[in-house]
Amino acid sequence: MTTPVKQKKRSGLKEEFGNPERRTAYYMILPALFIILVVAFYPITYSLYLSFHQANINAVGNFVGLQNYILMFQNTEFLDGLRNTLIFTVISVFFEFIIGLAIALAINRAFRGRGLVRAAILVPWAFPTVISAVMWRLMFQDQVGIIQYAATSLGVISDPILSNQTLLLIGAILVDTWKTTPFMALLILAGLQTIPGEVYEAARVDGASVWQRFFRITLPLLKPAILVAVLFRTLDAYRIYDLFWAMSNRELESLSTFVYKGVRISQLNFAVGNAASVFIFITAFAIAIFFIKVLGMQTSTEE
Amino acid sequence: MVERIEGPKESAVLSEALAFAGRGMNRRDFLKLAGAGAAGAALLGVAGCGGGGGGGGGGEFTFSFGPDPSGTLQELVDRFNTEYEGQYTASLREMPADTGQYFDQVRTEFQAGGGDIDLIGGDVIWPAQFAANGYILDLSDRFTEEDRQAFLPGPVESNTYEGKVFGVPWFTDAGLLYYRQDLLEENGFSKPPRTWDELKEMARTVQQSSGTQYGFVFQGADYEGGVVNGVEYIYSAGGEVLDSNSPDTVVVDSPEAIEGLTIQRSMVEDGIAPQSVATYKEQETQTAFLNGDAVFARNWPYLYALVADPEQSQITPEQVSVAPLPTANEGDQSASGLGGWNFMINAASDPETQEAAYEFIRFATSEEQQRFRALEGSFLPALQSLYEDQEILDAIPVIALAPEALRNSKPRPVSPFYSDMSLEMGEQFNASLNGEVSPEEAARTLQGSLEGIIQQGQAV
Amino acid sequence: MAAASASGGGRTLNSALFYVFLVVFVLVSVFPLVWIFKMSIVTKAELFESPPTILPNTPTGASYGTIFADPSFQKALINSTIIAGVTTVICLFFGAIAAYAIARLRFRFKSIVMTLILAISFFPAVAIIAPLFIQFRRIGIIDTYLAAIVPDVVFALPLTIWILVAFFKELPFDLEEAAKIDGATTIQAFRMVIVPLAAPGVFTTAILTFIFAWNEFLFANTFLFDDSTQPVTVVIPNFATVYTVDYGAQAAAAVVVTVPLVIMVLIFQRRIVSGLTAGAVKG
Repeated sequence: MTTPVKQKKRSGLKEEFGNPERRTAYYMILPALFIILVVAFYPITYSLYLSFHQANINAVGNFVGLQNYILMFQNTEFLDGLRNTLIFTVISVFFEFIIGLAIALAINRAFRGRGLVRAAILVPWAFPTVISAVMWRLMFQDQVGIIQYAATSLGVISDPILSNQTLLLIGAILVDTWKTTPFMALLILAGLQTIPGEVYEAARVDGASVWQRFFRITLPLLKPAILVAVLFRTLDAYRIYDLFWAMSNRELESLSTFVYKGVRISQLNFAVGNAASVFIFITAFAIAIFFIKVLGMQTSTEE
Repeated sequence: MVERIEGPKESAVLSEALAFAGRGMNRRDFLKLAGAGAAGAALLGVAGCGGGGGGGGGGEFTFSFGPDPSGTLQELVDRFNTEYEGQYTASLREMPADTGQYFDQVRTEFQAGGGDIDLIGGDVIWPAQFAANGYILDLSDRFTEEDRQAFLPGPVESNTYEGKVFGVPWFTDAGLLYYRQDLLEENGFSKPPRTWDELKEMARTVQQSSGTQYGFVFQGADYEGGVVNGVEYIYSAGGEVLDSNSPDTVVVDSPEAIEGLTIQRSMVEDGIAPQSVATYKEQETQTAFLNGDAVFARNWPYLYALVADPEQSQITPEQVSVAPLPTANEGDQSASGLGGWNFMINAASDPETQEAAYEFIRFATSEEQQRFRALEGSFLPALQSLYEDQEILDAIPVIALAPEALRNSKPRPVSPFYSDMSLEMGEQFNASLNGEVSPEEAARTLQGSLEGIIQQGQAV
Repeated sequence: MAAASASGGGRTLNSALFYVFLVVFVLVSVFPLVWIFKMSIVTKAELFESPPTILPNTPTGASYGTIFADPSFQKALINSTIIAGVTTVICLFFGAIAAYAIARLRFRFKSIVMTLILAISFFPAVAIIAPLFIQFRRIGIIDTYLAAIVPDVVFALPLTIWILVAFFKELPFDLEEAAKIDGATTIQAFRMVIVPLAAPGVFTTAILTFIFAWNEFLFANTFLFDDSTQPVTVVIPNFATVYTVDYGAQAAAAVVVTVPLVIMVLIFQRRIVSGLTAGAVKG
């Protein structure tokens, strides 16, 4: 991949920053990098620091090494949160991807009313999140909720949704899929739009079938868009907080709700909450590395 | 693989691209930059004048409280400003409606070094937490022993920490038993139940004969309101969570407390309350009762006014009455959970501002203003004398109907670590109500975690 | 420009299935909005009917009256627009520049840079609030638009840059070469050639960023204190008291806030169709 660069590697930093074109490149990335690092650096490192100490919301105590992390792994709420988050992330992202891809492919065709369909499918994404979770909760509620009513009448379930952990998790997955499939669809659609028609023409002329065209041409060309969409959705789902908190009224635990309780509500679990933040950071990092290395997402363009 | 299309086509495309770009891009680009620039300039202007309202010396101070649809709060502030014009000026800052978020906000400000809020209209569970960290001012010498006698005892207790008083009660709230007196009378019951067993019997009878859907609804969800309800059951059986004489001693693992939790669980087990009561907050309780679907409801005084509102209620005030919460044993004193709001002063504000803030407290807790807020906004006064005032009794029927309940309100455990304790209590009460654990297990677990919290708190 | 699809044979069935799928999907997407619209036009009593009614029995405009009578709500709409708009512009500007450098120019440390940019997306936002509050208070931007815009930009930049990198990479390298032959500088090549051709990616990013900033709640709620700066996400939940929630008003507000957003997006979405790529150079 980086054969031409290998030679330059030997010559070191002076070469790198001396080259005017490269310097321009560094200037161009500087503002974005600067904003992100300046704002994020202090909170993240402070959180890391706190996670290794005894601390409550007002004071920092002694260095305690990995003790907070051990406590964290022994905490049943944390483990619940981890389990729920993993299940939620895998299932939601999977469905959002499949349905999003289908929608993008469908909308990519010209048909009557396409503009309106495009607007309609964006409604869930445009809907204010604060209201969304509350309204869905209302729809799941046992007395006045339309979904609870419909599901019970149809005999699908007999328990009140809001009392049952499993049903709550399923509900959360449904709501999140509803809300963020448009995000996937939009990104994949944009990816589809950059594939010129002639490529398909040429393939069709060569006698390729629909499936062949899809798997050999469309999917590979869509890979960058798909991977960005899936990576970011996965990271967002992994850090889910508002949806679980507002919809389940803090009964459904996720990794981030555990952090929230520790860092914002509790006075004493502060250090463990920070340990959980660091845990989320490290594991999310690992997930991203997985996407980048294993799934072959390219971060540089030396072609 | 990237293929290249060679020759004339390439430069044709390039020219086309440049032409398009030349027409469209430049304008767009310019607009973007111009927009960003203008916005940036505007922001700098706003940045200059926004923010930081409080304590500007000269008797100005900031007073924070949640949204008040009744309008009486703004009126109160205006009255103060008029009366003390030239001397003091209060400016009202609206905080989130959700009390947990409000607390979060205030605490974040304190952590950041004091913040801008000088006078805080705070929830009854905040004083100990803030006092322990030195965030709020000790008011013991301003709010003297003598002054305190004029107020209801429960609220004063909630403001007391380590023998000192850190807040002044503003308006109060207490858990009440609402009941459908028409349904009770239909079934031959002339008086409201005094014990939980009586309540269950009455509920069952009415449910069977009149077909009412729910016997009893209350707040069982895992949140602060659920903690109040759970604690009420414990108190009603003679138990306690923290020893009131020695707040560092946890006594929740006792036969009385377990009995209380068992009674709460039995409401669902015996079919008096729906299983989903474990997800109910005040809103859901209110819905069930106002729809006429419940015989009994445990809720706060605010509900009474809503009964008369045809837009929200399918029942009428004639059908409804209130009573103190039942107890476990015949003849015991009923204890309703204490709610309500108090005034607290920021310890980090400068002395003049604190003085101005205390002046507002004196103003707002005077008989005249307490009466105004009671009559116009239905806020229950914290002054004892007003509970005998006929005008007020007429305006707020709940006071006339259940004076005992309001006077015998008992606070939740007072502790500097209340936030952590509340999380634990909420969880265990909810688990016990749900049937996930037995009341004995819940009490035992809670004993352990609360003791752990106190130990941890004393260590750091 | 549309990717061609179904081949002959079974075309009718294919079409039918296609339309059915579309209709179902549109209904599912839009149903909650319709339901919330219903909530916004019924009385409080009907809102809490048990079991719930399907069609509104008692339509009323009371909820809309409530929200429009509230000056905070109107100001909030303006504040939301400003915050979301400025965030989008800043993200696009700095993000596009950075993405271009990463995608098209040669330099070392690209992977590190991309990963650093991504790093903020690994961290739960809830953990960052208190330290940020203290930082922002020190530099005095609490309670100004900047206090919401800066975190929004920080959290939206990673997605912006990664999307634009993906799109810029798609374009063949010859374009810069050709431009340089015509005498353009790096920056000019970027502005006049690359960006227009990557228009689908650029507009998609703009839409996603705008909506993200529009819906952002956590930072706005903690850093902005009064209606001079608070966006709708903070104002809407305050149609409530300590014990009760005015669902009707919140539903009305949700409708008022969502519909124009969708219309606006509809307008911008047309730009995603890039007429250029129809004949563009791509293999």
